[in-house]
Amino acid sequence: MNENELLEITSEIGYLMIKYGAEIFRVEDSIKRIISAYGTDKNIAVEVFAIPASLIVTIQTDGGFPITQTKRISSRCTNLDRVDKLNSLSRNICRTKPDFETVMKHIEEIKKRSEYGFKTIVISYAVVGFTFALFFGGGIKDAVIAGIIGALIKLVSTLLEKIKPSIFLESVVCSILAASLAIISMRIGITERFDKIIIGSLMTLVPGITITNCMRDFIAGDFLAGLYTMTEALIIAAGMAVGAATTISFLTGA
Amino acid sequence: MEQVTGRMIIIMEIITNIVMPCIYSFAASFAFSVQFNIRKKFMISAAMGGILSQFVLAFLQLNGISEMSGYFISAAAISAYSEVLARRLKVPVNMHLVVAVIPLVPGGKMYYSMVTLINGDINGFLIQTVETFGIAGAIAMGIFAVSSVFIIMKTIKQKRIKKLPCNKNTGQ
Repeated sequence: MNENELLEITSEIGYLMIKYGAEIFRVEDSIKRIISAYGTDKNIAVEVFAIPASLIVTIQTDGGFPITQTKRISSRCTNLDRVDKLNSLSRNICRTKPDFETVMKHIEEIKKRSEYGFKTIVISYAVVGFTFALFFGGGIKDAVIAGIIGALIKLVSTLLEKIKPSIFLESVVCSILAASLAIISMRIGITERFDKIIIGSLMTLVPGITITNCMRDFIAGDFLAGLYTMTEALIIAAGMAVGAATTISFLTGA
Repeated sequence: MEQVTGRMIIIMEIITNIVMPCIYSFAASFAFSVQFNIRKKFMISAAMGGILSQFVLAFLQLNGISEMSGYFISAAAISAYSEVLARRLKVPVNMHLVVAVIPLVPGGKMYYSMVTLINGDINGFLIQTVETFGIAGAIAMGIFAVSSVFIIMKTIKQKRIKKLPCNKNTGQ
């Protein structure tokens, strides 16, 4: 494998790992390992810099010019199954050193791995809303309503994806939806209080992967990546608060 | 007769304070693992992390340990759980940690701090917000503490082996 091909597979693997929600140190570490596994005979030097929004890989052979590839990661979607597969692929590459076509074939296979269907995901949102409404002390009626709202949140956010909203706008819209439906269900007399419903249904929007990646990046010393993900989590939280607050003060006149 | 009713009360308390939260957080973690596209093979072990986090938290709070230290120890427990499983099953640590940490997120406190702000109760808002951020910090510190220990252990192990750059590295 020559340097250009090496650069292409490493930057593709790194790009996909960041996109599917791996931590930054894992990405940098895998790229360094792959390149040093291939470059033991050619004496290749490698520099990697990654943040959740972009990836830069530079390699330089003895006496040659340095070559660089930059990737911009504009949208991310969490898929821990594919992160796991990419991780074991990069470990395999280090061990067996396959050629370029084999690696590209493996990457394509990972990209096509099956995901859960849309229906399953909607049901999972409903279950999350249902259980968290019970968890935070709601009754069974509140829980059912929260479950329905949870499923609706997923439907609305899928519809919203078409206009590519910012994360702030998306969480504002979803929390307005949750709060208004909860208050309406109180007004028409299905339940007495709406707070547990709002809490339960908004728990579906908690950015779990962002929170954990933020902490783990800070531990590993990638402060820039940690700050990036922390800002994202705070913006989502702020969006939820703004949406719910405006709706509650409009509809209940507080 | 009084003894029996007393025992019944204790059992009921244990069920409402420990068993039910554990069941809820198991179901919630299980559903969340679908959102993160975790394979069916690992869904149960990931959702068990949700049980562990709630069990430790509820058990400690029932024994009168303060809220912050409860969250700290609980986060440390799930962090250790996911680090150990990551090494055993050779999967990223995230896969178990992400799912287990979600039931610990103080959603209720966040909501009520927002409500106090709408009602114009600034003192209440400050108290609630500080508590929320305190809990978030406690969770972060719990994960920090355990992960740092595991990273140090890994470094020591690698120094001892000292092979090619690509030895059998697991978990991380």
